[in-house]
Amino acid sequence: MNNRTHAGRMPDLQERNRMRRILIIEDEFVNRELLKAYLEDKYELLIAETGAEALEAVRKHFDTLSLVMLDLILPDMHGLDILREIKQDPDLSRIPVIVLTGDTESEVESLNIGASDFISKPYPRVEVILARIRRSIELSENRDLIRGTELDQLTGLYNREYFYRYAEQYDLYHREEDTDALVVDINHFRLINERYGKAYADVVLQQLGAGLLAAVKENGGIVCRREADTFQVYCPHREDYDAFAEEITAAASEGLKGRIRTRIGVYSRVDKSIDMERRFDRAKSAADTIRNSFSVSVAVYDNALHEKEVYAERLLDDFQEALTQKQFTVFFQPKYDIRPEAPVLSGAEALVRWKHPELGMISPGVFIPLFENNGLIRDLDNYVWREAAAQIRRWKDTLGHAVPVSVNVSRIDMLDPELTETLRNLVEENRLEYGDLHLEITESAYTQDAEHIIQIVSGLRELGFKIEMDDFGSGYSSLNMISTLPIDALKLDMLFIRTAFSENGNIRMLEISLDISRCLSVPMIAEGVETEEQMLTLKRMGCDIVQGYYFSKPVPAEEFERFLFQN
Amino acid sequence: MLSVETLRDWGADVDEALVRCLNNESFYLMLVQKAVKDPNFDRLPEAIAAGDPGKAFEAAHALKGVMANLALTPICKPVQEITELLRSRTDTDYAPLLSEISAQRDSLTQLF
Repeated sequence: MNNRTHAGRMPDLQERNRMRRILIIEDEFVNRELLKAYLEDKYELLIAETGAEALEAVRKHFDTLSLVMLDLILPDMHGLDILREIKQDPDLSRIPVIVLTGDTESEVESLNIGASDFISKPYPRVEVILARIRRSIELSENRDLIRGTELDQLTGLYNREYFYRYAEQYDLYHREEDTDALVVDINHFRLINERYGKAYADVVLQQLGAGLLAAVKENGGIVCRREADTFQVYCPHREDYDAFAEEITAAASEGLKGRIRTRIGVYSRVDKSIDMERRFDRAKSAADTIRNSFSVSVAVYDNALHEKEVYAERLLDDFQEALTQKQFTVFFQPKYDIRPEAPVLSGAEALVRWKHPELGMISPGVFIPLFENNGLIRDLDNYVWREAAAQIRRWKDTLGHAVPVSVNVSRIDMLDPELTETLRNLVEENRLEYGDLHLEITESAYTQDAEHIIQIVSGLRELGFKIEMDDFGSGYSSLNMISTLPIDALKLDMLFIRTAFSENGNIRMLEISLDISRCLSVPMIAEGVETEEQMLTLKRMGCDIVQGYYFSKPVPAEEFERFLFQN
Repeated sequence: MLSVETLRDWGADVDEALVRCLNNESFYLMLVQKAVKDPNFDRLPEAIAAGDPGKAFEAAHALKGVMANLALTPICKPVQEITELLRSRTDTDYAPLLSEISAQRDSLTQLF
């Protein structure tokens, strides 16, 4: 098995000192003897007198032949057919061929098929023959050397940079063609490496590389190993890649005991006006969408994905300005104590809304995760806290009273060393009570950085802040942990409620959660309550506080005042 | 007696041929002796008789190369002519050229 034949072999030191090897294919005695006389001092010679002998010799010695001299008239076949065979075989094609012909027409055809030179009869001076042989060999060896740097050592495929150059060339020769850009990845490659070792993983890569190479040889295109376990293919458009995925996965898994899964991201009918790199970025983003899928192995980059990306980038770009222009407003959703006969307003949750001047209202479901991933959430949260604190102050001033407002503190905010300081300053600057500002911290934050969070939260509680554990039921707390958490209220996850009340759900779970809150001696807040039935059931179970569309959707501060008046 | 001089008298361009033979006279003479026995001398008329111009062309062409390499001019000339005619598959009477080639070959053989 020789995966690197198109790179040629790099001769070792001892080999380089030996003479290079030339195969002479000539059936005429006189011509043969003349060539032998010219060359035998300088080269190791192999002789063939028929086409069959010639092909046998070329195949046997392909990795040590420096040159072939081929006469076109042979007893059993035409020399051009032999030339064609050599030039079309990937193992043989790198060997330069000088055609021995006395015929102009054949000269042109030989060159077109891939001969590097021709020598006609009567033979030119021996110096000329030797010089031409030397030149053909040099050109071929130089090409091999360059090829050496173009290739990935392990798989023999192009490496990334050269791939892009060749891809650009491909475009030049296929202007009218619809071309696809593919990114091929091996799923969980790191695990394969860990579980089976590097040698095994290398075989997987080689086999996948070979499979991809075979596919492009058959259907057109070029392939490279981009890095690690990622390969890239640039090829004529195909509507469906499922069969392709199966083929290459089979090739990669050949003879191996583990299961190999590949995922393919396809950027279909590339836009040739954009950079080659960007075309593959799109293919990559499609591949990323199925990174963890067990059932889907091909994902196509489409406009929707593209638009999502462009949209997300836009939001990120516009964030700073939105902040300074106060495009973000804080809405308030009331929380009601449902224990008395008539519900009593007991607080509000501050929720951020974004009114973008051009894009309109943007859902927090879209921008919050985006900002969490990009580190902008800190600025946003700080903004919300400031607005909420100022609003409480305003209510106290204008209405004489206010209700506690809870604000969300994300896990990322927890990592801010200035957090406690910031919150404390807010309370002081707005002359609030610490109990006026409740802090909602999601349960999954506790379970991820338990010690750290508990430390900070304890500190905040000592100052007088009230802590609500948000999304209770969505994290991974153990019962043991729950009993020791420093919190002042449990807030039941919206999804939890919905599931419990759904057809296949279990209300028992709600009762159990309420038992937990009673056990911890903290009130239970149920979020996302939409119907009277839900509200009454919760009331019957002993839930303390309810927040949800049943009472009101989140509203701007001015509208919220109505609720304060009703109190 | 085959020698460089008799070959020169016969009409071969000996000086040119010797250069091609690395100035080795015995090498040249050995090659000439072999050249005269080239099977293409028979293949050529056989192919023409069989009506196979393709094969005939190949035989003539091969012969031309050998004769040219050894600068055996009197044979080169008619072989060259017949090669060109066969290349373009000219429909003509090849007999005169064939007998010319044969005659020249015979005259060379007589030098041995």
